[in-house]
Amino acid sequence: MTRRVSAGHAVLAATALCVIVIAASLSIGPEPLGPLHLLRQWRAGESIEDAAYILFSLRLPRTLAAFLAGAGLALVGCAFQALLRNPLATPYTLGLAGAGSFGAYTALVLIDFGRLPYSVIGVPMVQAFAFLFAAADVLLIFLVASRRARPTPAVLLLTGVTLGIIANSGIMLTRYFARPERLIDMDRWLMGGVDIVGYRPVAVLAIGVVPACLWLLTQAGKLDQFGFSEEMAAGRGVNITRLQLTVLLLGSFITGVIVSEVGPIGFVGLVVPHTVRAFTGAGHRLLMPVSLLSGGAFLCLCDLAARKVPVAGEIPIGIITTLIGGPFFLYLLVRGRFADWET
Amino acid sequence: MNRCLAAESVAFAYEPGAPVLRDVAATVRGGAVAGIVGPNGSGKSTLLRLLCGLLEPGSGRVTLDGRPLASFRPRERARSLAFLPQGVQPVFLLSAFEVVCLGRYPHVGALAGPSSHDLEVARRCMRDTATDDIRHRSFMELSGGERQRVLLASILAQEPELLLLDEPTAALDIHHETEVFTLLARLAGDGYGVGVVTHDLNLAARFCDTMVLLSREHAVAACGAPEAVLREETLSAAYGARIRVGAHPFTGTPLVYAEPPEGAP
Repeated sequence: MTRRVSAGHAVLAATALCVIVIAASLSIGPEPLGPLHLLRQWRAGESIEDAAYILFSLRLPRTLAAFLAGAGLALVGCAFQALLRNPLATPYTLGLAGAGSFGAYTALVLIDFGRLPYSVIGVPMVQAFAFLFAAADVLLIFLVASRRARPTPAVLLLTGVTLGIIANSGIMLTRYFARPERLIDMDRWLMGGVDIVGYRPVAVLAIGVVPACLWLLTQAGKLDQFGFSEEMAAGRGVNITRLQLTVLLLGSFITGVIVSEVGPIGFVGLVVPHTVRAFTGAGHRLLMPVSLLSGGAFLCLCDLAARKVPVAGEIPIGIITTLIGGPFFLYLLVRGRFADWET
Repeated sequence: MNRCLAAESVAFAYEPGAPVLRDVAATVRGGAVAGIVGPNGSGKSTLLRLLCGLLEPGSGRVTLDGRPLASFRPRERARSLAFLPQGVQPVFLLSAFEVVCLGRYPHVGALAGPSSHDLEVARRCMRDTATDDIRHRSFMELSGGERQRVLLASILAQEPELLLLDEPTAALDIHHETEVFTLLARLAGDGYGVGVVTHDLNLAARFCDTMVLLSREHAVAACGAPEAVLREETLSAAYGARIRVGAHPFTGTPLVYAEPPEGAP
């Protein structure tokens, strides 16, 4: 058996990590200021207008967006790995990233050709299209699944992967029609980014992600049962169809909102749950909340790296998560730290 | 506690026109082991799932103490009867103790984890199945016999009064099959009602109090005491093969033997 840490210690460690990373994220940047710096300036009677603007309008919303996106992706990763009974399942396994990106690309091309306004009643069309296409992806999965007597994990998985491949062709198609000078903007979207200004994206993420995450957390006990044995779970009174529906819809909704706001940021939903599982064990009552906190901290950290790596401008966060996450995942594989999976 | 789970003239088909069970009756009573036997594809596992309430009969009804099983809420049902399917393949690595704790699900709230009482029940069930000393070992590293005993402990942790098991000895050697059936018989002695699907007619003859024999035609070929069910003509017709029945040299219970097909070397 793997070493396990106690529930209290795991939650405490994850919370401490969050606090430290968020504080660092607020304090570190091109301008040397943070909450403490601001307080000192204010007591010295200096003007804090500029500093406050940087802190509250730039760094805080950005930090919150990164935290919410990372937390949501990590939690959905946990849930989908149990629901699809597959260690490689991620929030994007069901084709949500592909579909969302296809939506964003479509909107970008339509806007460029003047067929679509940039925003309708304040809603940016790129985000709206990303979300609608992701929703269409989920709807198609349900249509396929409902044609079967029982949607087995394998059917869900294959449907999602297929839709993802189709969406990628759609992306190629929009790229083909796009004007070459627009391709840079479009591809930048695919790399993900939390370089937001102001609180509108934060509000969208908070409304979209927080309630759904809380609801998803209540499914922990049922996911334990489902991951152990679908039939025993049914025998113990878990309504399998309802569980699959609930987790699929909540997970897809959370992912759809995140993809539409910050783009398809990869690897968070894969690396974080597996790493956390090595410490907490596979019980979802502990694994899910600790993954949620750790995922938020992880993406804040990646955003910090994206801002601080000394190159021109900043590196898109999606590249950072994959560059950190990919090798780390390979290390886990080599070291046999998939101890909590029957692989 | 003398519970009675009964299927009354149930019929079932997964697809219209291809019945898996026709007009079948079966009873599982507290204090007795009821064996469900029959050839491959005769509907044994389906009958067990109907008795568990995991499938709804197309016609007929399944009742628990006279009350329709379908009227129970799922978790309420799970506190009365527990189901052990075949071929449990967990995707997560769990210790034997964690596996047994999963059995507390029908008693634990959606948000709360297991209480100290739940953990105590789990430990007691492990002692009852002689698995307490392997509780820290990883479930999938256990031998087939140990794994089966841990799974038994995990359904006992549901604190049910009726146990329904689908071929619990399928992959076990002769020693471990006997061990599992001995445990089932002892549990029946403690008052549990046990319904068990098995292919091993000789073990069933030795340990079951009653038997239901399903035929290739998906109907009941015989039911009652093992001696009444395990007869040459009845078995030969149900299996569509030449089956011989003698007496076990040591226990005197029926000993069943299938002849090779006629003309075989």
